[in-house]
Amino acid sequence: MFFQQLINGLTTGSAYALIALGYTMIYGILGLINFAQGEIYMCGAFVAVLLLATGKVNFITAFAAGMGSAALLGVVLERVAFRPLRGAHPLVPLISAIGASIFLQSLALLLFGPNNRPFPVQFEFHTITVGDVVISALQGAILLAALILMALLMLFVRYTRYGKAIVACALDRDTARLMGINVDRMVALTFLIGSALSGAAGIMMAIYYNATYPRMGLLPGLKAFSAAILGGVGNIPGAILGGLLLGVAESLGAGYLSSGYKDAIAFVILILVLLIRPQGILKGKGH
Amino acid sequence: MTAYILHLAIMAGIYIILTISLNLIIGYAGQVSLGHAAFYGIGAYVSTLAALNWGLPFPVALVLAILLAGACGLALGLPTLRLKEDYLAIVTLGFGVIVDLILLNLDITGGPDGIGGIPAPVFFGVSFRAKPLYLILVGLMVLFTLVLTLRLVHSYHGRALRAIRDHEVTAQVMGVNTPAYKIAVFTLAAGLAGLAGSLYAHYISFINPETFGLHTSILVLSMVILGGMGSIVGSLLGAVTLTVVPELFRRFHDYQDLAYGALLVALLIWRPQGLLGGGKMSLKFITRRE
Repeated sequence: MFFQQLINGLTTGSAYALIALGYTMIYGILGLINFAQGEIYMCGAFVAVLLLATGKVNFITAFAAGMGSAALLGVVLERVAFRPLRGAHPLVPLISAIGASIFLQSLALLLFGPNNRPFPVQFEFHTITVGDVVISALQGAILLAALILMALLMLFVRYTRYGKAIVACALDRDTARLMGINVDRMVALTFLIGSALSGAAGIMMAIYYNATYPRMGLLPGLKAFSAAILGGVGNIPGAILGGLLLGVAESLGAGYLSSGYKDAIAFVILILVLLIRPQGILKGKGH
Repeated sequence: MTAYILHLAIMAGIYIILTISLNLIIGYAGQVSLGHAAFYGIGAYVSTLAALNWGLPFPVALVLAILLAGACGLALGLPTLRLKEDYLAIVTLGFGVIVDLILLNLDITGGPDGIGGIPAPVFFGVSFRAKPLYLILVGLMVLFTLVLTLRLVHSYHGRALRAIRDHEVTAQVMGVNTPAYKIAVFTLAAGLAGLAGSLYAHYISFINPETFGLHTSILVLSMVILGGMGSIVGSLLGAVTLTVVPELFRRFHDYQDLAYGALLVALLIWRPQGLLGGGKMSLKFITRRE
């Protein structure tokens, strides 16, 4: 039971971690919560599912297209809802992001209807049984894919010119500008990368739960934000750690306490973290 | 037709109380609450249970609703209001989800089916079931809220709040206890939302968790932004407009949330002082660039 819940928790936790990375990177560079992150996650899932449903594209192409459209949506969002408001009172972009999130959610509801869509491709996954723990290869694949994406991001941030430029902007935007870094382009790049990761998470969870629907991004988005806070906002390894921990805590809580209150666990953790250690496990900058 | 207009007027009155209370948080304390409907719901459920299960008279149920909603606001505000403004938005949103889950899972709240048969208020043997009488009751409560908030906003405390909103560090340097002020305003606003919830429950006489979800929180937020952040009169106009206009466009009901979302973004970009808040009601802090 314990190990089973642990594996389930790590699987959903890897999706939270991918979304939390988007939150953390954008928070790091702009000091702003992108409330529409959950809708970007939903967009990735919908594009992949709709493309696959046509039966004309293979899985890899659909996955890439889903990530690509999520990334595009993120960049457009930055241009429309955030850039015009840069420099205003912090309340203003926050409310604007909430508006964008509501807009996208209702747009998806109008375009695609409220019903769940199953994932169009059936995978034949083997299950491995160790003792009384059942691990499906799907869970393994999701975890592996998430870890690869996270590793790529860490390498990108640490070793490439653009990655270092993003870090420089996050540390001090004005100094970065003086050093000749195009801050606007780096902000757009951050939105692009963060949104692509969220899109990937959306597709993975669409496969895992076999459900894609307009409001699918609401709860994972909020929980991923809790994960980002838990790990320390603005801290990339922190977001990964926070996401995985939150997924496990939620899964164990649902297994041992009460499944009816599963969705409340993340917020209870959030409030506790804010009370006890507002800077998060690994120290973040947002407090 | 008269009954329909009376119904709209009563609902507008309830929304005015909600909008003004949220505006205290946004326009005066400079914070965002996305769980305002949860306090509204707590007020409605507490008042209902007090009247139905314990047989308490309406005024006692009303006061209980205000106190309990306020207490929840205090409990939520204490850990979060000391931090940056974004945290409150997420925590209140999460609080809304938690309250929704509790209402759906408890036996005493009737789960998703809700509770029906809530009695109308009775004063001195007179039942306020009739719409004109209820409108008078709601009108008095709106007046009470207006007087309370206008007095607050124009007092020493109101000036302290505006100072916090405009520049928190400066306010602190001038000796304003900023966390205490923010927590006090948040508690007051939660209590007022509880008042609105009680009025709603005893008017409609049936409540279920659906009414008190995120949709309502967003609706009230839209009313505040439309009327203008930090303008009490603007809140009045915003609440009335967004109660009446959707009724005129009933056919486009499906597009309502879409419109609210677009409205929020568009207003903040082009008219951050609110559509109805003119020059005098505008807030310089919103448009000022640092």
